[in-house]
Amino acid sequence: MPSTRLRTLRLSRAVSLLTALIATPALAQPATTVRLGFFPNLTHAPALVGLERGTFQKALGAVKLEPKEFVSGTTLSEAFAAGQIDIAYIGPGPAISAATRGMPVQFLAGASEAGAVLVARKDSAIKTYKDLAGKVVSVPSLGNTQDISLRHILSEQNLKSKADGGDVTIVPIPPADTTLAFAGKRADATLVPEPWGAALEAQGHRVIGSEKTVWREGKYPTTILIVNAKFAQANPALVTAFLKAHSEAVAFLTKQPAAAQASVNSELDKLTGAKLDPRVLQRAFARTRFTTALDADALREYAALNVEAGYARTAPDLTPFLRK
Amino acid sequence: MTVTRQPVGDARPASTAPSRLRVLSWQALGLLIIVGLWWLVTDGLKLYPPYVFPSPRAVWTEVAYGLWGTGPQDGKLLGAIGGSLRRVLVGYVIAVLLGGVVGLLMGAWQPLRATLGAYLTGIQSVPSIAFVPFAILFLGLNERAVLFVVILEGFIPVALAVSGALLNVPPALRVAGRTLGARGVGLTLRVLLPAAIPSVLTGLRTAWSFAWRALVGGELLIAGAKSLGEQLEVGRNTANVGLVLATIIIIGIIGGLFDLLLRTVESRVRRDYGLEVPQ
Repeated sequence: MPSTRLRTLRLSRAVSLLTALIATPALAQPATTVRLGFFPNLTHAPALVGLERGTFQKALGAVKLEPKEFVSGTTLSEAFAAGQIDIAYIGPGPAISAATRGMPVQFLAGASEAGAVLVARKDSAIKTYKDLAGKVVSVPSLGNTQDISLRHILSEQNLKSKADGGDVTIVPIPPADTTLAFAGKRADATLVPEPWGAALEAQGHRVIGSEKTVWREGKYPTTILIVNAKFAQANPALVTAFLKAHSEAVAFLTKQPAAAQASVNSELDKLTGAKLDPRVLQRAFARTRFTTALDADALREYAALNVEAGYARTAPDLTPFLRK
Repeated sequence: MTVTRQPVGDARPASTAPSRLRVLSWQALGLLIIVGLWWLVTDGLKLYPPYVFPSPRAVWTEVAYGLWGTGPQDGKLLGAIGGSLRRVLVGYVIAVLLGGVVGLLMGAWQPLRATLGAYLTGIQSVPSIAFVPFAILFLGLNERAVLFVVILEGFIPVALAVSGALLNVPPALRVAGRTLGARGVGLTLRVLLPAAIPSVLTGLRTAWSFAWRALVGGELLIAGAKSLGEQLEVGRNTANVGLVLATIIIIGIIGGLFDLLLRTVESRVRRDYGLEVPQ
């Protein structure tokens, strides 16, 4: 019966339209904008200088760059899952979580290494990792890169978080709020990415774990560049252009540190409304290494730590997620 | 004056009233339909990617690992349920005691009722989550802040129910009590309060649901110890929507079971007081 067929056709059209509307948007056609996610942290410096100097926009040509600022990997990962972000600077923690859950993610390149320190409040008695027993330690968010590092540090000291039956309370506090949290004695220590560690140190708080003692003698990725795999498939030229701009930004950071610091500070000022003390920025800069190399071994170890921390039951095989 | 509630227009004899079994089977059918639809849009038609809306199977896996899994990282939901229940029960008992005392005072003394009673009604309209930032600043990022919010949310309905119930005791009982020699505190505790029990129980049930909701809201922001709120936060942060849904379902089931328990006690008491006619 034609009317039934017509109805079925209409219904199937409506269903597919609805699917397109509610599921991740179709990315088959060439993009007219590139939506970039990043944080206002020094560990995301390639994003900051790339934006400040217009490196990305120049590489993308007529395609418009739409930068979106996030405060944690969680919200960034949610935006990524919802199909609202195409390319992102993100920590390996949330990136590996995304891969574990089957999100269309591709790891493009490295961005920064090390650049996170464990800081103890100045009036706390914490001198070494052992003293963290019974204390409140903050991380930017549960399940993020620093949280996974912290849980690894604790397990090496035979300590456990309260939620795992131990006595160390791990609380999520955005890095920008740690100054207030320390002032209000709401946390005894924190594992934060730069420049927040150097900023706390400038206020007299003590660094008890340097970027080198936190993990793998500092040879671990802190921020990497990821892309939505569907976007990458539909826009290979855009991804290549963006990667080139990313390499330029990293080269600028490594070859002209002084100019790069001024550029980072200017972008941070634009984003957060506050400039950092140049000496703080310099110290934070010295603790962070910028690179485009993606350390696959370190990422695999991260995935294993993610399991150790209880955030995943199995470590995914990362090979299909890495860009060849 | 308490109005006796009796089903209007329900003239069926007790024998044809829907049996417990039938109600249960209808409820089971409803659940099957919901899970069926859920399966249809996820695993069946694959309308959503699993990291946005997981299938019933994926959520069940999280429940199974979380409740009776035996791996080193399993059983976390079970621990979370234990932690949350302990916290809410401590908060609830304190809230009921505090609310009872404040309610009695308000019931006995009109000026207090006119002032504090009005403020409490106002505070009750503020969502519990709004108090969390203040509680954190005031008490720190810890369990006490969660308890503060739970107690605050729980004690107000109890206080209002107790004072309201005292006022609604039939005047005849008051007069009779006075005639028999009861005065002041004695009259309140021995005559008015027993008469007010059914209404107080309604307040206790409201207080439970307020406290439970406040607890999960507080735990979500003050993650750190074993709690259902922390499981929600971990699920969110590790892109594990299956864990988020599993936790939501568990929160709903626990809240519903306690409400059912309190409702049973309430209706039993109402029956004993002659406020409900057994079918």
